[in-house]
Amino acid sequence: MDIEQKQAELIDHFVKKASALKGTILDPVIIEATSHPSLFAFSEILAVPSVVELGGTENSGYLDVLRLFAHGTWTDYKNNAGCLPELIPDQVLKLKQLTVLTLAETNKVLPYDQLMQELDVTNVRELEDFLINECMYAGIVRGKLDQLRRCFEVQFAAGRDLRPGQLGNMLQTLSNWLATSENLLVSIQEKIKWADTMSELDKKHRKDVEDRVEDVKKSLSLKLHTVSRPTLTSEGTRRSTLSLVE
Amino acid sequence: MSSSSSSGLTFKLHPLVIVNISDHYTRVKSQMNPPVSSTATTSSSSTTTNNSNGSGDGGVTAVSAAAPPPRVYGCVIGVQRGRIVEIFNSFELLYDPVTHSLDRAFLEKKQELYKKVFPHFYILGWYSTGSDAEEFDMHIHKALMDINESPVYVLLNPLINPAQKDLPVTIYESELHVIDGIPQLIFVRSSYTIETVEAERISVDHVAHLKPSDGGSAATQLAAHLTSIHSAIKMLNSRIRVLHHYLVAMQKGEIPCENSLLRQVSSLLRRLPAIESEKFQDDFLMEYNDTLLITYLAMFTNCSSTMNELVDKFNTAYDRHSRRGGRTAFI
Repeated sequence: MDIEQKQAELIDHFVKKASALKGTILDPVIIEATSHPSLFAFSEILAVPSVVELGGTENSGYLDVLRLFAHGTWTDYKNNAGCLPELIPDQVLKLKQLTVLTLAETNKVLPYDQLMQELDVTNVRELEDFLINECMYAGIVRGKLDQLRRCFEVQFAAGRDLRPGQLGNMLQTLSNWLATSENLLVSIQEKIKWADTMSELDKKHRKDVEDRVEDVKKSLSLKLHTVSRPTLTSEGTRRSTLSLVE
Repeated sequence: MSSSSSSGLTFKLHPLVIVNISDHYTRVKSQMNPPVSSTATTSSSSTTTNNSNGSGDGGVTAVSAAAPPPRVYGCVIGVQRGRIVEIFNSFELLYDPVTHSLDRAFLEKKQELYKKVFPHFYILGWYSTGSDAEEFDMHIHKALMDINESPVYVLLNPLINPAQKDLPVTIYESELHVIDGIPQLIFVRSSYTIETVEAERISVDHVAHLKPSDGGSAATQLAAHLTSIHSAIKMLNSRIRVLHHYLVAMQKGEIPCENSLLRQVSSLLRRLPAIESEKFQDDFLMEYNDTLLITYLAMFTNCSSTMNELVDKFNTAYDRHSRRGGRTAFI
C-alpha cells in the first residue's frame, strides 16, 4: 500500500503534464512516464482526454505503448515489436517488472523456468539479481526465492492497472471470500457450543459417579459393624472400581 | 451538590489512574479487615505504608466488623495543555481525620520526587472513593486550590454494580455559583474520555483476559479461545463486506472509478487463496498427526497406570482370602 502512496504524487504530476499538452508533444511525456523508476500505474494517464485523442492520429504508437505498459507483458511487446516504437532500456526494465507482476497474478509459486522464458533471461543468477534488485528492492513484490526447488514464492505483489473485465473477477473473489468466512463463523459457533455441551456432560458424569460413591459408602458403613472381613473386601473393591471408573 | 459542568475543559483519563485508585482502596480495605477480628497490633504495620485514614482508624475501632468502607485519598497528576486536561498518574496521600485535611508536608515531598522523574507533570487535583461528593471534600478541594487554581476531583465508586455499564469514576470540577445570594463553590460533574498509551492498553487487555483461566477446565479455555477467533473473523468479515459493496457500486457506476484503490484491492485479492499450496497441506497434516499421536500416547500412559493400580488393588483385596483356600490372586 505504500507503493500507492509513493506513486500518487507522480501520477498527479504526469496527469497534469499530460492534460496541459496535446498531440506529438505528448510523446516525450509518455516516454518519461513509462521509464520513471517508481511509477507502475498508468491507467490515470490513459484516462486523460488528450492522451485518448492520440489514438486517432498517426502517432497512436505511443498510445499503444502506454496501453502495453498498463496491461501487457514483455512477450506482448516482442510479438508486436513491428508496430510499436523502440523502447529505451529504462522502459524495457519497467516492462519486465510489470511482467513479473502479471505472472504473480495467476500463480503464487513461479518456477524459474517460466520466469526465465517470460523475461528473456538465460541464467538463474541474472534472474535472481533481477528479482532481488529490481523487484523486491523497488517494493512491488515480496516473497521468497527457493533455489533448491527453483521457484519464487510470492507473498505480496503490487496491483497492476485493471483491465475492464477484471472488476467482475474481483467481485467474484470477494463474494467467495465473504461466503467462506461466514461459513467459518457458523462452524466456530457450533464448535463453541459443542465444547460447552461436552463440559456440561463431563461435569454431570462426574457428579453422578461421586453421588454413587457416596451412596455406596453410606450403605456399606451401616453393614460395617455387623459383618467383618468380607464386607471390607467388597467395599474395598467396590470403592476402588468406582474411583477408577471416574 | 453536583450538576453538569460548563467549563469547557476536556478531560482525558488514563487507565493507570483508575487502577491506582482501586488498588489503593483494595489494599486499605483488606488491611482493615483482619485487624478488625484480631488485635490492634497489625494497624501499626499498615500505617507505615502510604495509607490514609481507613487502616489507622480501623485498627483502633476494632470491633465494628461492618465498618463503613474506608475512604482513601490521593493526588492526581498530569499535563494541562490549553483546554485539554490529561491525567496520567496518581499517588496516595495521608489524610488526617482529626483536622479533615491532607498532610501537606507529605504532599510537597511527593510532589518534588515526582517532579524529578516526570518534569512535565503538574498536580491537577485529587481523588477519593465513595459514592457521591460530600461536604468535607470541599475543604480539601479548597486546600488544594493554592497549588492549582482549579483542581479536579476524581471520585471512584468502589461498590460494584453489575447492572452499570460505564466506569464508576466521575470527575468533578469546582465552580463558583451564587446560591441564596452567597457565592459558593460547588462541585459540578464533567465528562471525560479514556485515553490509553500502548503499554496501558496491553496490560488492561491482559487483565481482562485473565478471568477464564480461573475457570480452569480445558473446555472453558477452548471456548474462550474460539470466541476470540470468532470475533476477529467477524471483524474481518464486516470489512470485506464494505469493500464488496464499494466495488459493486463502482461497477454499477454509482461511484467514479478510483484506480489506485482498485489496484490495492487487486493486490490484496492476489494473496488469496492463502492456504491451498501443497506444502501447507503437508506441514499442516504432519503437525496435526503429531499432536494426535502425543495425545494418544498420554492417554495410553494414563490408562495403563490406572490399570496397574486396579490390578494392585485386586491383588491386595483377594490376597487375604488365598490363605483361607478361597480365591486365587487376580494375576
